[in-house]
Amino acid sequence: MLSRSVLARIFMRSFLLQASWNFERMQSLGVLYILAPALRVLYRGEALTRAYQRHLSYFNTHPYMASPILGMTLALEEERSRNETDGTVDVEEFKSMIMAPYAAMGDAFFWGGIRPFAACVAIFIALQGALWAPVVFLVLFNLPHLCIRIGGLVGGYKHGIRATQVIQKFHLPDLAIRCKEGTILFLGGLCAYLVFQCLRSEEVWRGWGLMAIPLVILLGWFGRKGISNLILILLSSGILLLLIRSLAD
Amino acid sequence: MLFPSEYLLAGIIAILAGLDRTAAMQFMVSRPIVAAPLTGLVLGNPIVGLHVGILIELLWLGRLPVGAAIPPDDTQIAVGGTALAIIIGQGTGYVGLPMILLCLLVAMPLGKAGQFFDRLARKGNALILEKAEIAVLSGRGASVECWHLLGVVLFAAASLITYLVIVSVGTAIVLHLAPILMPLVSEASLWVQLAFPLVGAALVIGTINVSRSIVLFSASFMAVFLLLWYQ
Repeated sequence: MLSRSVLARIFMRSFLLQASWNFERMQSLGVLYILAPALRVLYRGEALTRAYQRHLSYFNTHPYMASPILGMTLALEEERSRNETDGTVDVEEFKSMIMAPYAAMGDAFFWGGIRPFAACVAIFIALQGALWAPVVFLVLFNLPHLCIRIGGLVGGYKHGIRATQVIQKFHLPDLAIRCKEGTILFLGGLCAYLVFQCLRSEEVWRGWGLMAIPLVILLGWFGRKGISNLILILLSSGILLLLIRSLAD
Repeated sequence: MLFPSEYLLAGIIAILAGLDRTAAMQFMVSRPIVAAPLTGLVLGNPIVGLHVGILIELLWLGRLPVGAAIPPDDTQIAVGGTALAIIIGQGTGYVGLPMILLCLLVAMPLGKAGQFFDRLARKGNALILEKAEIAVLSGRGASVECWHLLGVVLFAAASLITYLVIVSVGTAIVLHLAPILMPLVSEASLWVQLAFPLVGAALVIGTINVSRSIVLFSASFMAVFLLLWYQ
């Protein structure tokens, strides 16, 4: 059984998973760095070298979702070190099998769901000039982030591969869809507010503001065609500057 | 005109936020909505930072760091853009929204350098992986951890260099362009500012994997807009 101090070290190290991210094997060295304190407790000599080599294989998943995977990996390594494995679950096989679905879940939930949603809420507060808006963003985003990091590592180690069933119960892909819908609703309201403020300040007839909807759809179509938003913003800014200049002349 | 100590202070934020982006922690301090106000706070003008943060965050809201893709370095653009707006503003007297927009329009293309340096750091990490493998094979397992941590140095260097490119080239361009473009940018500033959320929202709607995204956006937009109009 791994001690609490070893688990605490592993948890702290999990924040450096991607420190040596590379195109060849992505997070592999990071995984070894995180697991090293536990491997040193579980193995000695040649067995330790083999364990190190085992975890240098290709690995790539969402950085937060790596915690439950590594927790379960620790449980498997512990069983292996005691020669208790029944031969059905291999550590390397397990990691390579689970990393892709967990990456997809993490990308959809954290990057695609929670992050834009938290940012929209923070921007809405920031537009009122509140300097604590970034704190709101950090709290909204990091609550689920830290829950999955801590709960995932501890739960994964405690329950072994059965922890996958616990994670399934959270329905992260469904939650991600709800967050994305919330983001779009927030964005719609945010854009309406900003368009209205602009028209009022420039003393332009408010009805023109409704033209923003087809404009956004058109810009979105350009985006889907592969035109980056950097190009889009530079082009639209240039057009606006030229337009204002010609109107002034 | 130049204030090295202030650039240095912002440089520290650039490194810390840059590391948070990929290599360490990932508490999302690297997001423009946090990194820019933080830079502003350090430089004594958090409101400018907050303004920069809102605009850049809205523009790149839909860009996801998925797999091996390296998104544009919005962190260094936010930090560098804020530093340019505050430091040059202090020296020249150009302040307010037009100055923020001019600095951002200059900093954004320069931020492309971030993708190049980030890629270099990741290629450098491949060499670290090779060294770590040799160390494991030769029974020096403990040194693997040191090799891994060396990656942090490479990512920090990539962040710092990107920041330096943005502030050094950006300072030269802004100082050159400001006297010429400021009157025009001032006239168009509210419209140009509006382009940021609209382009950002367009990208989110265009790429987000949600059915009825256009309907949801339009309904929300209409509801809020009409409410504001008739109140």
